Amino acid sequence: MSAAALRPDAEQPAPVAALTGVAQRFGRQVVLRSVDLELPAGTIVGLVGANGAGKTTLFSILAGLLQPDAGERHLFGSPADEVDAAARARLAYVAHAPQLYAGLSARENLALFADLRRACGLTTRPADEVLLALGLPLAVLDRPLATHSRGMAQRVALARALAGRPELLLLDEPFTALDARGREQLAQVLLAERARGAAILLSSHDFDTLLAICDRVVLLERGALVRSAAHEGDRAEFRRSAAAIWQAGPDDPVSPAPDLC
Amino acid sequence: MRVVRQAVLLLRSELRQELRDFELLLSAGFFTLVLLAMFYLSFASLPVKHSLPAVPAMLWLTIAFVGVLTLTRAFDREREADTLRALLAAPVERLAIYLAKAALCLLVLMLCCLVLVPGLWLMFPGGAAFAEQPGQTALLVLLGCGGYVAVGTLFAAGLATGGGKNTLLFIILYPLTTPILLYALATTRALLDRHPDLPGFLGQMAALDLILFALAALLFETVLVGAGVAHRPRDRPRDRNLSRKPAP
Repeated sequence: MSAAALRPDAEQPAPVAALTGVAQRFGRQVVLRSVDLELPAGTIVGLVGANGAGKTTLFSILAGLLQPDAGERHLFGSPADEVDAAARARLAYVAHAPQLYAGLSARENLALFADLRRACGLTTRPADEVLLALGLPLAVLDRPLATHSRGMAQRVALARALAGRPELLLLDEPFTALDARGREQLAQVLLAERARGAAILLSSHDFDTLLAICDRVVLLERGALVRSAAHEGDRAEFRRSAAAIWQAGPDDPVSPAPDLC
Repeated sequence: MRVVRQAVLLLRSELRQELRDFELLLSAGFFTLVLLAMFYLSFASLPVKHSLPAVPAMLWLTIAFVGVLTLTRAFDREREADTLRALLAAPVERLAIYLAKAALCLLVLMLCCLVLVPGLWLMFPGGAAFAEQPGQTALLVLLGCGGYVAVGTLFAAGLATGGGKNTLLFIILYPLTTPILLYALATTRALLDRHPDLPGFLGQMAALDLILFALAALLFETVLVGAGVAHRPRDRPRDRNLSRKPAP
């Protein structure tokens, strides 16, 4: 699948992030195989795939946490052999785990990362504003994070990412642990981020939510991007292909095969 | 300046967490006391001429053991919540992360030395020179611990992000810190012997510390994120078998 094939519209400006021929292996295990992917501004791209397909590795490479063994990574229109602090200031990554300091309160966690940004001369939006949009009551912010539920911690992690108004938002299973109301609120926040012009890549096992908010969905199978479906057009074909992958997945405990269109 | 500001912010956060549970200080301090007690029970009856060469060994053995315990626990906090990766993905200079962690571990080690050095002085007659030369003793301990922490922080961080086992730190760290520990042993012996060239010994330790800190700072990002830059597939023959699956 070529990079152009993954771009919704050839008239779009340069993508916010792009991978070309990216490959990654850990020891003898090949995790990513020549992946081409483009993330244009103002779009939400959904990444689906069975457990172990390489989704988290792909996120890590885009976030600069991993150097790819092969291929090219472009961020914000420039080659990014290394993702320096200036590039990291323009992106945000929310991993599968909230990655928050348990010994600090939610407010202290948010303040630490906001202060670290300010030390670079960067601005942040008020965390309260984001937290309210995500449905987290401000009264719990001063409690130690260890007393928060997984869903509350997930909201704090999302607020930390969104506070910097990132141009590239990388979300590895952001709907995990959120209740139905939280999922709806997050979906609304992501749509607002898209309207602001952010490029968003998110993975999820919640197939219906993905299809509801994504402009494009790509399917990662054993380290290779093998299917792509735009918001309109071949969604039915994509659903059929994805269902086959889901059913063949060796250890995916989360998702049953999605309904076929 | 940005590096320093971020390092201070991270160190302040580390101290805030530490002051809530005293996890590092309690474990390192208690271990120091246990080792001191064991040394006293084993060597208290030694005559002065025999205890003199034993004191430097007791000092630096304790620092080596307590140091590795501190480094392990300092990064376990990051490992448990995977927070180091959050910092690495944020616009935080990697050098600031290194400096903050190294400063925290150095601070804990220096606090342990506030117990250890007076303990050795009180328990062993050979340690009397510590009290006679408090300035040089403080500088010696600072330089020795600094060099140890410079190397240790680098490898403890690498193991924390790479999913390595803590036991690996013991295996990796002791051979790599042997030069600074040997230097520290020789300088401590010079201090206890009232050697006239003690400033020269301390100067060499300071130079070694600078080299170790510079090397560790240069290597820190590579250890955490990986070496080099991404290569194009055509530059990497071994990647030819990474076939691209055609789109259906």
